[in-house]
Amino acid sequence: MSTSPLYPLWLRAWHWYNAALFLALMVSGVSMHYAGTDWLLGFNQAVAIHNVSGTLLALGWIAFVLANLKSDNGRHYLPRPRGLVRDLWVQARYYAYGIFRDEPHPFHAGPAAKFNVLQQLSYLGAMYLLMPLLILSGLGFLLSPLLPETLLGISTLWLVAMTHVLTSYLLVLFLLVHVYIITIGDSLTANLRAMLTGEHGTSDDTQETDRHAS
Amino acid sequence: MTHHCSRPRPTRWLAGALLALVTSLLAPVASAVETARDHECLRCHAMSTLAYREPDSGEIRSLALDPQRLDHSVHAELACSDCHARGYGRYPHRAKLADEQLGCVECHADDPADATYRLDRIAEEFAASVHASSDHHKLRQFDCHSCHDPHAFRASQVGDDLGAIVRRDNQTCLDCHHRVTDPLRGSHAWLPQRDAHWAAVRCIDCHTPTTPQASHQILAAADSSKRCVACHSRDSRLREGLYRYRLAQDRAEHGWLTSLVRNDAYIVGMSRSPLLDALSLAILALVALVIALHGYGRYRLARRRKENDR
Ligand code: HEM
Repeated sequence: MSTSPLYPLWLRAWHWYNAALFLALMVSGVSMHYAGTDWLLGFNQAVAIHNVSGTLLALGWIAFVLANLKSDNGRHYLPRPRGLVRDLWVQARYYAYGIFRDEPHPFHAGPAAKFNVLQQLSYLGAMYLLMPLLILSGLGFLLSPLLPETLLGISTLWLVAMTHVLTSYLLVLFLLVHVYIITIGDSLTANLRAMLTGEHGTSDDTQETDRHAS
Repeated sequence: MTHHCSRPRPTRWLAGALLALVTSLLAPVASAVETARDHECLRCHAMSTLAYREPDSGEIRSLALDPQRLDHSVHAELACSDCHARGYGRYPHRAKLADEQLGCVECHADDPADATYRLDRIAEEFAASVHASSDHHKLRQFDCHSCHDPHAFRASQVGDDLGAIVRRDNQTCLDCHHRVTDPLRGSHAWLPQRDAHWAAVRCIDCHTPTTPQASHQILAAADSSKRCVACHSRDSRLREGLYRYRLAQDRAEHGWLTSLVRNDAYIVGMSRSPLLDALSLAILALVALVIALHGYGRYRLARRRKENDR
């Protein structure tokens, strides 16, 4: 058992809290967007679920940011600027080509770095660009009576709505890719188990990963 | 000096004289309202304080008109005497004149515009509304003028600002139903974002049955719509009612581009952009397809590896 797990308890707790809320928000959000469709949730019910889960998700996000500032987990999201393009190319080439040639995985998760550069960029984009926009625009909906009617000649509420719907589509896209990418680990479910139990099969044990790669 | 007592109603006479005095003092103010200067009557009736006390009930009744609103009303072109024909030469006017019945239908029955407004239909709808069927004591004298002040009324036009239409329309209801806005009354507490709704939709959008034109059949509170999807859906009733103005204007002015960039409130479930949705769903489907193919490739690889191991 490693002294500092790659996925400490607070992170795992946040992650599954966040994932559950995100699923609730997806179902209720789609129900509102396509309101009137029979097999979706009723509008009133969807509004109630969406408002409550959205508020909880926003609070969770604030906790996530604070916890990453206080712990050293935050550094895992920052790509190394030097050789960034090369790293990107190596990782993308592996996913698109190398993986089918049975090439060794160019990246090994360990305490020094638990994400490859593509994971870093997608987590960074999702958590520090899309999530704040999503949360702010959601807050904009909630507080819409307080907003000015127009912003630069365009209805403020319309801008809020477009930001919200666009960022939510992009985050669903992120989720789709995210849930697939996590199956590319030492085994199909190694990453999933790591996020559940905190134990990562490859943690700082280079020998094990070498054995697998050969 | 003593008062002349030959007149039967000395107090009235006195009041008239006083009124004339006040009027002459205020005349510059009245005539400063340039747009209404043609209306001789407005020399008095533009004074916002002009009023009398109802002898029976003791209620103060305003006799004032807002000249600006009159000037913007459908009836701005008319001379006062077109409707208020006889007996106004005397000051103050005789009391019984106040009882004259001036209906809308009397003038508008032969109106070519009647073909669009269908006054007979309006009369039927009104007869079925709570305003006609309730025996509430405040509704005893309810008629067209209770809502449509003939000195201010103007139907909404294509091109009018939606917010202004909503505000003007709802004020008509709130003039009597002002207690609805009392924060301690829960009649609209069920409605999420109550104030946002009140600023964006008309009372009648929920409190009348859906008809292509604004209905005059005001429903009782219990019969009014609480169905969110009546508005929040693709075939929103707002498209028939309130947004009719907007849609006609959009089409006339800008064409398809306005379906992307709007100046109106976004209505969840109604004003979603079909283009954005189609594009997003297409991208999601494409990514799902790539993932499926990628997964299949990995599956084949794993099977091959297993066979090699054997
Ligand atoms: C049912 C849905 C989800 C599943 C099954 C899932 C699964 C996982 C797994 C197995 C990991 C660890 C693998 C890795 O570190 O790359 C992970 C990490 C992560 N997930 Fe998810 N996830 C889900 C939803 C979400 C959502 C909705 C978000 C954000 C909007 C999210 C954000 C993250 C982040 C930021 C990490 C990295 C955390 C860290 O190690 O610092 N996940 N997820």
